[in-house]
Amino acid sequence: MDLIQRILENRFSVTAVILFGIGFANLMLQYNLVKKVVGFNIMDSAVFLLLASQGYIEGAMPPIVAEGAVEATAYINPIPSGLVLTGIVVSVSVSAFSLALIQRIYHKYGTVDLRELVMRTEKEED
Amino acid sequence: MSKKESAWTRFAAWVNGEHEPAESRLFSMGMGPRKERRPEITLPKREEKQRLHGFLSWYPVASAVIGVILVGILLATVLAMPSFGQVENPTNNEVPAHYLQHTREETGASNAVAGMILNYRGFDTFGESCVLFLAVSCVFILLLRDENNTSQKDLEQAQRREQRRKRRQDVILQEAARLLSPFILLFGAYMLLGGHHSPGGGFSGGAVLGGALILYASAFGQDAIRRFFNEKVYNTVRVIGLMLYAVLFGYYIFTGANGLENHIPLDYGGLILPIDIAVGLVVACTMYGFYAMFTRGEL
Repeated sequence: MDLIQRILENRFSVTAVILFGIGFANLMLQYNLVKKVVGFNIMDSAVFLLLASQGYIEGAMPPIVAEGAVEATAYINPIPSGLVLTGIVVSVSVSAFSLALIQRIYHKYGTVDLRELVMRTEKEED
Repeated sequence: MSKKESAWTRFAAWVNGEHEPAESRLFSMGMGPRKERRPEITLPKREEKQRLHGFLSWYPVASAVIGVILVGILLATVLAMPSFGQVENPTNNEVPAHYLQHTREETGASNAVAGMILNYRGFDTFGESCVLFLAVSCVFILLLRDENNTSQKDLEQAQRREQRRKRRQDVILQEAARLLSPFILLFGAYMLLGGHHSPGGGFSGGAVLGGALILYASAFGQDAIRRFFNEKVYNTVRVIGLMLYAVLFGYYIFTGANGLENHIPLDYGGLILPIDIAVGLVVACTMYGFYAMFTRGEL
């Protein structure tokens, strides 16, 4: 009962961990390079979900502050939102760069499957 | 003077690849004749291959085990964390309180997130803009299609595809783009210019602007967009965006660190508004650059 209570209290973080696991499995177990990039993006989303959920305060307003004296607890925490923004930018850049690399690999070897790539590079060496 | 000039011209020639420095061995990338001597890789090549195949066979099992262990550790960590959405969580300490209470008089922005990322932590966001700039440059290096890196067959194929696309133009897409792209541009500009007092800002506004450019380019073709947005304009705009950010934030930090008065009025978002515009230019160029490179390989 206590465990279920803990899971419900931290539902967003638990979801983030499960998503992270799915993304990690995709990244490691897929042999298609494009699917590896998709798995990487799922991992990124999990991290963003975890960060964004850390900044939320129940019943608080978005951090667009009104004029005059401000009660800090009336607004949600602005710092995780900024960190998520940084993460999204880096994630977009990394995805674009790796997809461009994959496109070059496809042009050279005609496949994006990792096992076939290993076989073709071996054949090239022989 | 003349010596310096010659050094400069030599450096310029080296950058352009026309001059080789004296120690060309250090800078050239294996352009010389291939060495015949093959160190002991040839002997255990069979073993190497077997090791590789062995690795590929137990690799899925190992990665599954590692993944399960990792998720277990993370779940245990997450369940020990303070519960979701409570005011007394340790993340809600004095730092966000300071940002929320002082962002209006210190940065001129009522949007605390914009004030934080573009003013208190402006160097971080400058690094982000550089990451975007570098990412689009790397994609250019990898995918830009010209005579040097593409075979004649591929070039002809791309030309044929372009001509076929010109013959069969999509009426629905074109009418929708004609109708929508002014409003999308307007909305992007609104998000860009209102980032200091409402949700929005450089990154989201720039992404919307880039989306408008992408819609226009996909409806009317690359030639139509090249009339006002060719490679030269593109490079100028993204470099100017980054430079504007660097100069503005450098000025701000310099005056602040030396106790000088900066002449940036706080009424209309202070520093946030011009920096938002700079970031928006960089982001819009990045989005459009990714689209152009991945679809056609040319700008």
